[in-house]
Amino acid sequence: MSTVVVLGAGVSGHTAALTLRRKLGKQHKVVVVSPNSKYQWIPSNIWVGIGRMESKQVTFELAPVYKKIDVDFHQAKATALHPEGSADHEKPFVSVTYTGKEKQGEEAQIEYDFLVNATGPKLKFEATEGLDPSEGNCNSVCTFGHAEHSWKNLQDVFAKMEKGEKQTIVIGTGHSLATCQGAAFEYVLNIAFEVKNRGLEDQADLVWLTNEYEVGDFGMGGAYVKRNGYITSTTVFTESILAEYGIRWIKRAGVQKVEKNVIHYETLDGEYLTQEYDFTMLIPSFSGVGLNSYNKAGEDITSTIFASNGFMKVDADYTPRPYEEWTADDWPSEYQNPTYNNMYAAGIAFAPPHAISKPMKSKNGNVISPTPPRTGMPSGVIGKVVALNISDRVKANSETNNHKASMAKMGAGCVVSAGYGMTKGMAATMTVFPIVQDWKKYPRWGRDLSYTVGEAGLAGHWIKLLLHYLFLYKAKAKPFWWLIPE
Amino acid sequence: MKATKFVPYSEVSFATIPGPATRFFRKFFLWQVWRFFRLNWKMMRIVVGGHS
Repeated sequence: MSTVVVLGAGVSGHTAALTLRRKLGKQHKVVVVSPNSKYQWIPSNIWVGIGRMESKQVTFELAPVYKKIDVDFHQAKATALHPEGSADHEKPFVSVTYTGKEKQGEEAQIEYDFLVNATGPKLKFEATEGLDPSEGNCNSVCTFGHAEHSWKNLQDVFAKMEKGEKQTIVIGTGHSLATCQGAAFEYVLNIAFEVKNRGLEDQADLVWLTNEYEVGDFGMGGAYVKRNGYITSTTVFTESILAEYGIRWIKRAGVQKVEKNVIHYETLDGEYLTQEYDFTMLIPSFSGVGLNSYNKAGEDITSTIFASNGFMKVDADYTPRPYEEWTADDWPSEYQNPTYNNMYAAGIAFAPPHAISKPMKSKNGNVISPTPPRTGMPSGVIGKVVALNISDRVKANSETNNHKASMAKMGAGCVVSAGYGMTKGMAATMTVFPIVQDWKKYPRWGRDLSYTVGEAGLAGHWIKLLLHYLFLYKAKAKPFWWLIPE
Repeated sequence: MKATKFVPYSEVSFATIPGPATRFFRKFFLWQVWRFFRLNWKMMRIVVGGHS
């Protein structure tokens, strides 16, 4: 009998757990460790943040689902990995601290034969002074709780505008290295849509504040799309949408501090500027969740297992090289830890070899450019591939990984909501293939343009809504869930 | 949004803006039904072809 422990129950971890349970026989054990009692479909948090959905529509309790499919669920936070075991444990194990009401604060060790690290990111609000929503300056849509709170604050802003008070709304990235521009972009478009619906355009000054060199970079170095007889960059596509929605933009900006009503940021030109606001939502930087690792003798081996940003090292080429020498082959395809081959990292938890966007430094020497996105579709695909490899290894008792999914060979679809409504809604649908440019295979554009799309319209909203219901159906492991692709 | 938002020589003023036909087709039901299936098909091909 083998035990597979999955750390995290987000898009990647939950996909891995469901796939493992389906593929492995009942004689094998699948264990999920997550500090949260609920699954949340993060892409729909945007709609919670603008009051179009309630948090209960984007979440569900994990325990009943795992009970139904015979997965052991521990509502606990992983604190340390012991990949060689210890004096008391022959087998590798993970130390956890329970977070649920019943066992709050209790500690335990869970042994494993295979481990999937899918802990996702730590939202590193502390990296930017004043960014943490609990301090009362800034808002967030990173969790459903944050999104609910943002909607409450946004309603106050709408009420002020209805009374004739002009309000400045600033949405974007809250750190010079932040990623996940897509979520913030969706939020600013949805706010603009709601402002227009309420006839408050004259009272709203909407600002998109981003660390991208050009808008439309989205942490993946931008893309090129075929559009109306031209091959055009996503910068043009994105600027067009921002302009149409009446949103002005500030780019190449690394936010350094958020004070009450004032954002301080540095530009690539080396200037230190400020932007006033009445409401702001800025995405924080991400890091690994801070797991420590110890060998059998109890010595700290964290730096062997994890990169300096806290994400787990996998089969990537981490040799530092200048941007011009980056290749598609640097990216991992099996997500297996090179030191301990029974450990894998899925989704945001794996350490990318480098950025996708070209790193830019300000005149003051500070890097201001997005780190690579690994959310949504790639996270789900990676979670599934890791689960398939582990189940094959368990069943065949082999060391081989039969399944691969490199972000340099994998595409992604991103549906950017730009307004909610079955007849009046809109979304920008963007697809790229591959996510990481392969300049050797596609020397002109870095990607295959026959798969790359950028299009705005009502159909995009329907797709986003369809994905919401489909993926929640799948995550609840309802009949034939496995027919729904990642 | 209203045209008063546009300031000459500002960055916003250089952006392409959709004309009436584009805006019409973005909401035209039959066209959007076609785009719905077409875009879903494209995404499905990407997902299925992205891993082995």
